[in-house]
Amino acid sequence: MYRFVECIDAGSDFCPCHLAEKGECIICSQLQNKVFCDCLYWKGTCIYQELLNNGNKAKKNREYKKFDIVSINKIRDDLHLYEVKLTNYLVRELDNFGAFVFIKRPQHPDYFGTPISIMDVDYEKSTVTMLIKIHGVKTKDIVECSENIMLKGPYWNGIQGQRFLRNLKDTNVLILGRGVAASPGVLATRRLKINGNNIKVMLDKGRSQENACTLYYKKYGADVENINIINYKTKNLTDDFVDKIDDLINKEEVPVILTAGDDDFNRLIINYIYKRNNKIYFASVNNHIMCCGEGVCGSCQIKLSGKYIRSCKQQYNPIEYYLMEDGNR
Amino acid sequence: MRVVVVGGGWAGCAAALQAKKCGADVILIERTDMLLGLGNVGGIMRNNGRYTAAEELIALGADDLFNIIEKCTRHKNIDFPGHKHADLYDVTIIEANVRRYLLSLGVDIKFETRAVDVDIEKNHINAIYLQDGQRIEGDVYIETTGSTGPMGNCIRYGKGCSMCILRCPSYGPRVSLSQRAGVEDILGMRDDGVFGAMSGSCKLDKNSLSEEIRKELDEKGVYITDVPEEDIHPEKLKMKVCQQYALKDFAEKVILLDTGHAKLMTSYYPLENLRKLKGFENVRFIDPYAGGRANSIRYLSMAPRDNTMKVVGLDNLFVGGEKSGLFVGHTEAIATGTLAGYNAVRSVMGLKCIELPPTLAVGDIIKYENEGKNNKNGLTKRYTFAGSEYFERMKNLGLYTTDIEEIRRKVKKLLIDGIFKEKLI
Repeated sequence: MYRFVECIDAGSDFCPCHLAEKGECIICSQLQNKVFCDCLYWKGTCIYQELLNNGNKAKKNREYKKFDIVSINKIRDDLHLYEVKLTNYLVRELDNFGAFVFIKRPQHPDYFGTPISIMDVDYEKSTVTMLIKIHGVKTKDIVECSENIMLKGPYWNGIQGQRFLRNLKDTNVLILGRGVAASPGVLATRRLKINGNNIKVMLDKGRSQENACTLYYKKYGADVENINIINYKTKNLTDDFVDKIDDLINKEEVPVILTAGDDDFNRLIINYIYKRNNKIYFASVNNHIMCCGEGVCGSCQIKLSGKYIRSCKQQYNPIEYYLMEDGNR
Repeated sequence: MRVVVVGGGWAGCAAALQAKKCGADVILIERTDMLLGLGNVGGIMRNNGRYTAAEELIALGADDLFNIIEKCTRHKNIDFPGHKHADLYDVTIIEANVRRYLLSLGVDIKFETRAVDVDIEKNHINAIYLQDGQRIEGDVYIETTGSTGPMGNCIRYGKGCSMCILRCPSYGPRVSLSQRAGVEDILGMRDDGVFGAMSGSCKLDKNSLSEEIRKELDEKGVYITDVPEEDIHPEKLKMKVCQQYALKDFAEKVILLDTGHAKLMTSYYPLENLRKLKGFENVRFIDPYAGGRANSIRYLSMAPRDNTMKVVGLDNLFVGGEKSGLFVGHTEAIATGTLAGYNAVRSVMGLKCIELPPTLAVGDIIKYENEGKNNKNGLTKRYTFAGSEYFERMKNLGLYTTDIEEIRRKVKKLLIDGIFKEKLI
């Protein structure tokens, strides 16, 4: 299987980063202590040149800044919708596949920062909307914010396999989502709709009758259906979903599917569909634990084909990740 | 049979054309939107021993590209310092002509397509991968990705990216597929032990030169004037790829050749200094765009090969052009590319791959270059029919002649006349 190597930050305002400065660049062989070019993924700039032009120093990192909260909508006790006013620059940069930010409560140390996906952007109001589910200490802390919040960004690696989504035009894309993980799919829908794609969305009902992102998907013209996708007790796909997905992949051309759930959800779905049609490409939301988002702390490190990668910055092919058992990766 | 050629410079075009003539299905993968690569800014044919080599290839049946070049020639049979009977083709029209010809023969050309990796099993390449993950399968592969650039190499071994015709920033850098397949690249050296060599000429916009110079270029094909004393830098010659143009004359004179652009026979020349010359007051560079500062770096990515052009250590990868050695020039690229295309088809058919006989210049240079690569001294040399050491060798061995009939007789006597016209499949 082709293993593509792509750094989501390559060529951005934040490249070259500390990895390049220390000879650990994900892309550039010249910045991996080699003395020749072997540039497997080109995004329009030579990282080696950028580093030299920057005096052999990394560009400045993203930093926390304080922003105003415009509105908070408590959908459920543990599910809060935050709309935050940002700079135009940040809104523009966050209007991309897989965009996310780190947020924390003002005055709290940086280790309170947690990655949250951007669900929607509004250029007129210069705001972004995020769906926050209370999971643990960090999210409990964040939802105590009512007036302002500390935020750093933009980050973009919230969706893996973005290369399969970016250039799609006038085609069908299926999004399968569950829970709060379905929220980055809304922004993906927005981007995909700009290119004239038809978006069909199936959302797992979970504990509710309707996923909290449903209205946002509909806002961007997606065809949304709330059904039961997974039986979490038996860890199986439901008969209803299996019938529907079989019908869909047999009847219609769906070149790419975005799975937007937790790892069990993504794994079950990708394995099921890939075995029936291995021509379909997958993108999936990135569920790895992140602390710094800069490829330095190592908390997001995963093993793929025997090599460790930093999943906060590096893209992978979801098929490669989810098709293989943990031990074989 | 499917032959996959990666890299659409002169060598890749020759390889694709030859494989097609042999009867194979051919797919040619090119990173940019144009064929010919550096051939779009070259233009010099038939100078010195290249005359012999061109006629040998024509006698062997590889006349197609030479016929196209002939049609695009601006000046015939001109002399300039150290060089005799050169033809200059028009670089502004050659690409479209070659492209039309290859397409008319049914070569499947994929433009703006960058090959980045291989799927290899033991020593056999199963497929190549494009940057978007697409898999291209073939029975045999020919790598003609050259040895020039990309940007990182031009920075490390040169004076930075000079924005040359290869346009790496726009289309992405070349990747050495042989190295990806596990065969380590060989690097050429300069006399001072530094790796790589700098391209030896740049192009000026003819329209920016004075009317007098333009007129002389149009009429004679050559314009020569003295370099002011303070701008004479003989040390620059050592950096040059084109040792055939690394002569004293080329340091002390400004030599322009009319290839559609005004080809300036020096690696780079600071714009301010160039504009001090009479008739150059408005001059500007057209290739590389930053030709006042730098030029591309070459010979950083050669694959070890045998004399049939097959890569040593791999079953189904052939190479041509600069990828196959320290060759300089279009004629050299066409020679090596053609042989690679021919042998690629033979290898899949289970036929023995051929070597060109060393009694021909095109056979001798392939063999001689391969021997030279084995030692450090040889790695500092460049191999071209047009000059430097190899042209001397040609003369000493009696390989150099401009007698076309003699060349044809010789090829016929070897019983290989027209072999490159034979359909094998």
